[in-house]
Amino acid sequence: MDIFIFEAAGHYIGIEAKYIYRIADNVSIVPVPLMPSCYEGLIYYRGDLFDVIDMARFMEKEASTLRDDPYVILLKWNAEKVGLIPDRIVGIKWVEDNGRTGAVFNKRGDTVKLMTPDEIWRKLAGLAHGT
Amino acid sequence: MELDKYQKIFIQESSKYLDELDTALIRVEKDLQDQQLWGDIHGKIHSVKGMARALSMTDLATFCHAMESWCKSFQDGTKIPNERIVQLLFDGTDLLKAFVAGKGEISEPEDLERLRSISEDLAKDPEDLVDRAAPEIRPSTAPGKIDRIRVDYALIESLLARSQEIMLLEKTLPPLTQDQISAGLGNWINHYISMLKGLYFQLAQLRLMPVQDFGELFVKTLRDLSKSYNRDVTLEIVGGGLEVDIGLMDRLREPFMHLLRNAVAHGIEPPDEREKSGKAREGKIVLEADRHGDQLVLTVSDDGRGLDREAISEYLKDKMGMSHEEMSALSNEKLLSIICRPDFSSAQKTTQLAGRGIGMNVIAQAIEYLGGNMKIQSEPSKGTRFIISLPLSLSIIYAVLFRLGDYILAIPTSHVRAIENDDSKSSEKVEQFCDLRSLLRMDAEGSGNGHIIRLRQSATSHMPLSENEGLGISADAIIGNMPLMAMPLGELLAKTGLFAGVGIMENGDISPILDLEKIQAAVA
Repeated sequence: MDIFIFEAAGHYIGIEAKYIYRIADNVSIVPVPLMPSCYEGLIYYRGDLFDVIDMARFMEKEASTLRDDPYVILLKWNAEKVGLIPDRIVGIKWVEDNGRTGAVFNKRGDTVKLMTPDEIWRKLAGLAHGT
Repeated sequence: MELDKYQKIFIQESSKYLDELDTALIRVEKDLQDQQLWGDIHGKIHSVKGMARALSMTDLATFCHAMESWCKSFQDGTKIPNERIVQLLFDGTDLLKAFVAGKGEISEPEDLERLRSISEDLAKDPEDLVDRAAPEIRPSTAPGKIDRIRVDYALIESLLARSQEIMLLEKTLPPLTQDQISAGLGNWINHYISMLKGLYFQLAQLRLMPVQDFGELFVKTLRDLSKSYNRDVTLEIVGGGLEVDIGLMDRLREPFMHLLRNAVAHGIEPPDEREKSGKAREGKIVLEADRHGDQLVLTVSDDGRGLDREAISEYLKDKMGMSHEEMSALSNEKLLSIICRPDFSSAQKTTQLAGRGIGMNVIAQAIEYLGGNMKIQSEPSKGTRFIISLPLSLSIIYAVLFRLGDYILAIPTSHVRAIENDDSKSSEKVEQFCDLRSLLRMDAEGSGNGHIIRLRQSATSHMPLSENEGLGISADAIIGNMPLMAMPLGELLAKTGLFAGVGIMENGDISPILDLEKIQAAVA
């Protein structure tokens, strides 16, 4: 299957390409109080509001020092919408679906952690809000 | 092709006149001797006739002429109108609507039959038409699909001006050297995008419809229902200025129709019965619109006899096998919600209009489908209230925007009583002060020279605030009072428990909207 791969906090993360709505750059992210530390804020893009998540903090709870791309990966699925800030975008690769974890995606033998938008959303919803 | 174009104009114009005719007939029915109103009615029919003649729709023009002649005689005072005549004119207007929809042709056999019957009556001397007391029962349907809204001329002008400005932007792109290109082009694109966002904001406003216009769609239907049931009922609209997305209002047509029908059929008593029980002869149905947080709250209430609790008890006993004790243990809300079950009916006999036992269930399902909920309150001989809460898919609100630390926040202007400089004098006057910084888990340091926003007390708050001393919140700086396109909260933001929605500004910037009730609850 086609997987969109990006890097965050030293991990390669892959999301099935069909969930990628747009890659936005130079968008202004509005901070919102009382949200978890990985929650960067909101963006309004083409009539929709997206919650924007810093994937490095989401994965490791620490801000990334590697970030060099100003991109936000916008995902839209079912009724949900979320934007992910990666450290670096790798691109779309065809990866064998072999159990969803540890799929090798390049000649160096690097592996990618496959995630679904639902998994990300469930984990986000489970974080403490309002504290 | 040209004829098609004129027919389209004819349909649009005539539909407008015929809708206005309905409203004028409802008014004249209350004062049959109002010659000025008869003149107004005469003028509208005359306009439809003129347009029909221009398009060689002879049958339609002849029919209009007959109606017009009668109205002229009432306008002049040479003939005396009665209720039967007004009913005939209502029937004539309905028939004209069918004529207009069929571009001058009548295709339905029953309409042809009605045409013959009404034409025969219109050929008589109006005073020979006896005032008929017995009401004629006829099925009433919800108004047609809402596919047109009134738009402020100022909004159209502003949209045109903004579009023109965006088109002219092309000419403002400065000549750039290679070095300047990146920064210069970036600024220009940002400006361009900001203009486009403004245009989108205004275009979105075109989707909004005042609740007043929605309510007025049902005035004729309510009049027909009242006649059919021999009731005297008026519709009052409160909060009609609130603007709501047309898509949401369109989906509420059928549920609202069912509620009106039930109120007239089962709630409002006949005028004599009302008078005997000390009520005004005229019953009242009130449609009230309000906004609570990110919810649109529509309340439909009547001052009739209230829900039939005996019928509810009978249903619980017969259909659900409940004992008297079990029924007593039910809360009032639960008891009344029984009327939303699919097989519940309180009507003793099924008529064309009500009593089929599906109405309330249809309403409950439609509201659930829209993501809302309905509460029912009812008191014997005082009336019934249906409180419907729906998510506001889109609406424009005015809000005061302010900065607090890194955040830009908004609070609906309707909740703001005053804004004062934050000096010691004004702080002393605030009885209840909400430390928003602490509530939002922010650092304690403020800018020092901020403002105090005094809020009004929310309707549902239990805080004992006096009229003069309201809850105050601090702000580092006031940005301004401006219109926001309010969007509902997402699942994540809702978890904070302090926001009512997210506002989109005219330039596309966004700001969370604070929920006054939740702030008051947090302070309490």
